Amino acid sequence: MAKIELSNISHTYNPNDTNPTYALNPFSMTWENGKRYAILGPSGCGKTTMLNIVSGLVRPSKGKILFDENDVTDLITEERNIAQVFQFPVIYNTMTVYDNLAFPLRCRNFSDQKIEERVKSVSDTLRLSSFLKSPARKLTADQKQLISLGRGLVREDVAGVLMDEPLTVIDPDLKFRLRRNLKEINEQYKTTLVYVTHDQNEAMTFADNIIVMDQGEIVQVGLPKDLFERPRTTFVGYFIGSPAMNLFETEASSNDCVKINGTLIKTNTNLSKLKDKKIKLGIRSEFINLAEDQKHNLLSVEVDKVEDLGNYKLLTAKMGELTIKSKINREIEVPSSDVKLHIPADKCCVYDNEILI
Amino acid sequence: MEKLYKFLKYTFIILWTVFIVAPFLWAISTSFKDFQSVNSKVTYIPWLDFEPTLEGWRVLVKSPARGGVDIVEPYFNSLFVTCTASLISIVLGTLAAYALSRFTFKAGFVRNNDITFFFISQRIMPPIVLSIPFFIFLSTIGLLDSLIGLVVVYIVLLMPIAVWIMVDFFNRVPKELDETALIDGCNPYQAFYKVVLPNSIPGLIVAGMFCIIFGWIDFFFAFILTFTEVQLLPVKVVALNSSITPWWSLSASALISVAPLIIVAFVVERYLSKGNLSGALK
Repeated sequence: MAKIELSNISHTYNPNDTNPTYALNPFSMTWENGKRYAILGPSGCGKTTMLNIVSGLVRPSKGKILFDENDVTDLITEERNIAQVFQFPVIYNTMTVYDNLAFPLRCRNFSDQKIEERVKSVSDTLRLSSFLKSPARKLTADQKQLISLGRGLVREDVAGVLMDEPLTVIDPDLKFRLRRNLKEINEQYKTTLVYVTHDQNEAMTFADNIIVMDQGEIVQVGLPKDLFERPRTTFVGYFIGSPAMNLFETEASSNDCVKINGTLIKTNTNLSKLKDKKIKLGIRSEFINLAEDQKHNLLSVEVDKVEDLGNYKLLTAKMGELTIKSKINREIEVPSSDVKLHIPADKCCVYDNEILI
Repeated sequence: MEKLYKFLKYTFIILWTVFIVAPFLWAISTSFKDFQSVNSKVTYIPWLDFEPTLEGWRVLVKSPARGGVDIVEPYFNSLFVTCTASLISIVLGTLAAYALSRFTFKAGFVRNNDITFFFISQRIMPPIVLSIPFFIFLSTIGLLDSLIGLVVVYIVLLMPIAVWIMVDFFNRVPKELDETALIDGCNPYQAFYKVVLPNSIPGLIVAGMFCIIFGWIDFFFAFILTFTEVQLLPVKVVALNSSITPWWSLSASALISVAPLIIVAFVVERYLSKGNLSGALK
């Protein structure tokens, strides 16, 4: 268990090229001891590179890594005492399940008694107890992944457990239970957990803090609520949430108003410096509702389609060229023709050059 | 249709079995014949067609002074050279293959694949090309006509096979396996011998089998690089032939030459049919 600090880290896989492409652009970040972090981003955005740098499998081109203020940049993986679980199960085929789980402890010369105690505890948590004597290669894919996960959790003193999309091969029911188990383990042992995923629900339900990455950049770090309500860039707005955030190209027409297809929409953002500049207005479909008795901030739209998605209705509406999506309570009847939608000013996000103002 | 398929299948299998087994049966029967039974008329069944004798076998163990040919010493020479060279080739070849599979080498335009090809190219060349350099090399270091000299040459011949098979094998072992071992607390050497190597036993067995076969059956270098001090089995077996071909002792020696390979084949077959050549991942 440790505080993990990444200081001015950047990495390129082709450092000798005249114009190297960076898998990770320079960034600094601190992972506090005992917290849960999720790294979220599309494939190829540098998530795995970041984990490999922390675990020591990759040496960063620039920057330092500190575990509890100690510089570990030059330490090899073995000396960092860190656990990492990969996307696909990696097991030691020639060993039994017990030996697989005991392996990290044996490598570090723990006593047999301690090993047995830890293996028992971890195998109970992961419901692997009845397989302990079976050869690991005979298990199913999701059981094998549990072994990988178990090897990560079996050491109590690890600096952190890094997980690279570990639940991809696990079925949904077990996935849900495992996420809860991981949370419990984190609360019980105060292990720093870092969880890479491209599934936003997984990230939102699991983590205290979410790190959103795109093209080697860290775009936003924050609580799930912040990421949802105040995405720092249009990318975050687009990437997080389902459906993606509504984004309208517009321009500021007064100190706090923008014009969408001729209709003035008031925001809570000061736009005085952006007058006549091209900006974007973003609003979550969750915050757009059918107008009841509101007088302002209304958009007259044409209903395109209404999909019943079980727990809510998704209204897709057209306003000229614009498409607007709104999540509506499934009890509410949506007229099939023209409707007015209310855009709450306090939920509007204004983006200048794709960045939140 | 299914019956026809079955019929054709079994016919083919029976024909193929006869094709493989017949020479063995012929050799076994001939090895128990004497001059008379071989040369007079065609005979097949012992005691009915001909009177079996152990003469063909006895000649092989009798010393030349007593009219024999003594293949015992060449037999053990061959065993020693083949096993030693195979073992060293497998150890060195496996290490080289692991490095070629896991690390990136660059020297000018030379890359990993070029180095692997360089190893294999030793086997692509006709052996005659290598014979003169080997001859000069061994005579320079004074190892011509010696067991050690042969071991050195055979390592050069067998290691490419080991490297070739093991590079391909290690490439199929996911590198996450090594990385997991490092994360679990192994140093790179422990990761290799505690985790990667036990996972590679099927590959090692296949490589070992090929080394043993190619080492055991080599006649060319054994013939060129030895004279009187040291003789290997293939050379001795060929030397059995004289103005009158001793079919009986030739057959007997052929059978005991093949015996070790048959044993190797039976042992290895278990591992080959298991099909678990890879799969630590997924």
